Amino acid sequence: MEPRRLRPRPVILFSPITPLEHAMRHVLNGLHSVGLPWAWSIVGLTVIVRMILVPLTVKQIHSMQNLQRFAPQMKEIQKKYKSDRQKQNEELMKFYRENNINPAASCLPMLLQLPVFISLYYALRHFSKHPPKGDLSFLHFIPSIADHTTTHWGGFVLLVVYVASQMASTLYMSATIDKTQRILFMVMPLVFVFVIARFPAGLVLYWVTTNLWTVGQGLITRRLMPKTPPPSLLQKRTSRTPPQQPARQEEAAAPPRPQTDGARPAAQPRKVRRKKQKRSGRR
Amino acid sequence: MYRLGVAAVWLYRLTWGALFPTTCKYHPSCSQYAVDAVRAKGLVRGSALAGWRLLRCNPWSRGGFDPVR
Repeated sequence: MEPRRLRPRPVILFSPITPLEHAMRHVLNGLHSVGLPWAWSIVGLTVIVRMILVPLTVKQIHSMQNLQRFAPQMKEIQKKYKSDRQKQNEELMKFYRENNINPAASCLPMLLQLPVFISLYYALRHFSKHPPKGDLSFLHFIPSIADHTTTHWGGFVLLVVYVASQMASTLYMSATIDKTQRILFMVMPLVFVFVIARFPAGLVLYWVTTNLWTVGQGLITRRLMPKTPPPSLLQKRTSRTPPQQPARQEEAAAPPRPQTDGARPAAQPRKVRRKKQKRSGRR
Repeated sequence: MYRLGVAAVWLYRLTWGALFPTTCKYHPSCSQYAVDAVRAKGLVRGSALAGWRLLRCNPWSRGGFDPVR
């Protein structure tokens, strides 16, 4: 019995994160060996991840636009059950089902990014302990992407860019039409910046890149697709349907809608309305 | 024991959830569903239910009102 007790306890050799971290290091190594510096490998990684997610986000954007068609009715429901949030949400969900609306948001795109983020965190931590060969700096203002963001002034610049990009991407992608929620999401990055400051700079770089991608995607889809096309055009649209040219011309030809015009424009988020006016003014 | 699960959900909400300005297509949202499920069915079964809900929360599902039964 004695020797058995003396035997060292088995160390946990396997953690679910280890293979992820290894895979991440392989991917980064691969991108690095192609000729990208380490920091740009992270940017490349982000681009790859987001490219994989494009079909999901396109679907999300389409359903978001579909949702806007029903904005007036939804506003009404919200007004009706103003005092009772629980009831309000239930009624909204019922309305979705009755009108065959598929709400925009889903947990999948963000869940898929979670393992990427975690493994990148561990890979960068490994980098800071055992620096790989090659340049770890980014655009001359961040000395090392493996260090904590706040160890150098460049990190603070990156944090500012992060907050700005996060807010911008919120403007473009937030699926909610609830005003208070939107404001909350705008304030969130300001709070989150204190948490993210402790992360390696490379992680913030990942986040900035993914936000900028979101903004770019929002801009492109807004250019390609009319914001609120007539319902008849919306009926059978899939992600493969090309953007509808006539609807756009019609939109461009129409004079800027007066602000007091009916329930429909008033029900759209303010940002969108402003944008549309700017656009038609330019043409 | 279920407090562990609820704490985990809150940890998620304060960190990862804060990064993503999207709301769930279901009501209650996935995270609230997880809290409800863990409260009602215990940590193991609740987590399983929440996991299944997360898998259902994809762009090919209908979404809607879907409380813990």
